[in-house]
Amino acid sequence: MIARLSHFLVTVGRNTQLLLIEVGRLSNLARHFLYWTFAAPLAGKQGLRRHSFVQQLIFMGNESVFIVFLVTASVGAVLALQAAYQLRQFGAVLYTGALVSVSMTRELGPIVTSIVIAGRVGASITAEIGTMKVQEEVDALTTMGIPPVPFLVVPRILAIAIMLPCLTALGDLIGIFGGYLIGISGLGLDSNLYLRQTFEALIPKDILTGIAKSFVFAILIGLISTYKGLSVEGGAEGVGRATTESVVLSIIAIIVSDCICTGVFYYIFP
Amino acid sequence: MKIQVKNQSEGFVYVTLEGELDFDSSPAIRQEFTKFTEKNPTKVLINLKKVTYIDSSGLATFIELFQKMKRSQGKLVLFNLSEGVRSVFEIAKLDSIFHLAKSEEEALALTQ
Amino acid sequence: MSAVIQVENLQKWFGTRKILDGINFEVREGETLVIMGGSGCGKSTLLRTLVGLLQADEGKVLIFGEDMAHASEDKKNEIRKKFGMLFQGAALFNSLTVGENVALPLKEHTSLDEEIIRIIVKVKLELVGLTGFESLKPYQISGGMKKRVALARAIALDPKIVFYDEPGAGLDPITARVIDHLLMDLTKKLRMTSVVVTHEMNSAFRIADRMIMLHQGKVVGSGSPQEIKESKDPYVQQFVRGEINGPISFKETKEHYLKSIFGGDVGL
Repeated sequence: MIARLSHFLVTVGRNTQLLLIEVGRLSNLARHFLYWTFAAPLAGKQGLRRHSFVQQLIFMGNESVFIVFLVTASVGAVLALQAAYQLRQFGAVLYTGALVSVSMTRELGPIVTSIVIAGRVGASITAEIGTMKVQEEVDALTTMGIPPVPFLVVPRILAIAIMLPCLTALGDLIGIFGGYLIGISGLGLDSNLYLRQTFEALIPKDILTGIAKSFVFAILIGLISTYKGLSVEGGAEGVGRATTESVVLSIIAIIVSDCICTGVFYYIFP
Repeated sequence: MKIQVKNQSEGFVYVTLEGELDFDSSPAIRQEFTKFTEKNPTKVLINLKKVTYIDSSGLATFIELFQKMKRSQGKLVLFNLSEGVRSVFEIAKLDSIFHLAKSEEEALALTQ
Repeated sequence: MSAVIQVENLQKWFGTRKILDGINFEVREGETLVIMGGSGCGKSTLLRTLVGLLQADEGKVLIFGEDMAHASEDKKNEIRKKFGMLFQGAALFNSLTVGENVALPLKEHTSLDEEIIRIIVKVKLELVGLTGFESLKPYQISGGMKKRVALARAIALDPKIVFYDEPGAGLDPITARVIDHLLMDLTKKLRMTSVVVTHEMNSAFRIADRMIMLHQGKVVGSGSPQEIKESKDPYVQQFVRGEINGPISFKETKEHYLKSIFGGDVGL
């Protein structure tokens, strides 16, 4: 019994240690990212590769816009149905639009869009950089005197940081639209009334905190996916493993940081 | 790297280069070249006597000048090449395409 | 002839394993130096330490008199502009075309006009015999061609030194020979210095001006190809002839085996 317990504690300890090492390396990459994005250009070094940044933006938009629409529309629709189910008990089905729009912009829009991006874009970044690492392309960059962080990491993180808030804003809108469709067709609500409810309940803070959250998620996805890509070892198998880890870790990071952000917003901007 | 451009007569440009034509200096030299090629000269002579070294960018700068001269049906002659500079043209297999003269007289004769 | 690379007492550990054990040698201007040795002798680690992909634990790597082993990352990148490297698998960027691959170092490190870069790329591709391949992607060309493109990329900035990691690896014997010839041809024409890591004896003797041989992280032999061939050193002899029996053992001893089964306390 004691042996088992001590074995358990050792395992927990070792995993904690590994996690701390991982977090340490990740924050090291974050430091490099900040240096190459802000400090290096001031020191006269080439920071962001603009061409590559634009390429990444287009790629990310193309890859994900359709899925984001599909997923947020579904979430909006589901939200409307679930809200109506509860509100009916109080005879308040009328307020479905308000509930959908507020929860969509404050919470579900950012989080659902970010998870889609983590799966779609984050995974492809890890796979791409990981493959480059395995095929010595990252080493080739280094020996050419081109540091991999500004060349590979910076354009990707910045592209996600711009693209994800934009997609979130679109996702909010589509989600509200999804709820609206259910509201007027499935719940028999009046179209004008529904829309008025929707936009009367919304205040700018709802939208802005949601967008701010998505920006935080974007930086996390970018850092995790590029970090996982750069730390790939062990051939094609390693790339596969890193890609899975990247998505899982990103989703965990999104949810945990969402909790922190929501807490912060709740107490700081009541 | 120093460059001296003289307009000998109408459409005849005489260029003297001095120093090393490398990745750092060739963009400036290219600009000087562009200045006179805009006037579509018929003859361009380049004295490379004091050029100690040229690298790929230097060679590329000459190739571009050659292309422009050819388009405007002018004549480009390089002369007084040191052995090292000449070998850069030979390695790129361009020594037979360019007019490379040994002396100023030969260069002048080639432009006639 | 002056030395362009000097390696002094270079040491490198991986954990508790010593991979490079006090390596000393120099590379002279204009020569082709071949570093050879069997698998696991430390030659790849040596090469990666020379170009700064791995950090040396002790000792110096002087490239044109500047210490690669103790330079800051910025300084290393400055030194790196003066040499090129050909990787075992070519390491071309798959998202870029052949032409863009060769142009990359020029775009990153010079302020040359696009048009000038385009011309330089054409000249470099002609040097490796691949005129007209600019717009193809790496996956559309053969392994031998990839290596040639990688070579064109390595010499894009007119470096004075080129490092080669197993130039013949993964190629058929004829293509490997073509690469060897190209290497020799360019080294002579462009007056470059070449450092080649390989385990292929035929290729090594073909291209080398001088060779050094590594075994267990130490230099066990050095000299001209002729001197290496006639060396009396048992390690060198065994390797040159490719024999199984000799001082380089490919099996652990019986003692080791028994120890690994019964633990250290078996009375033998």
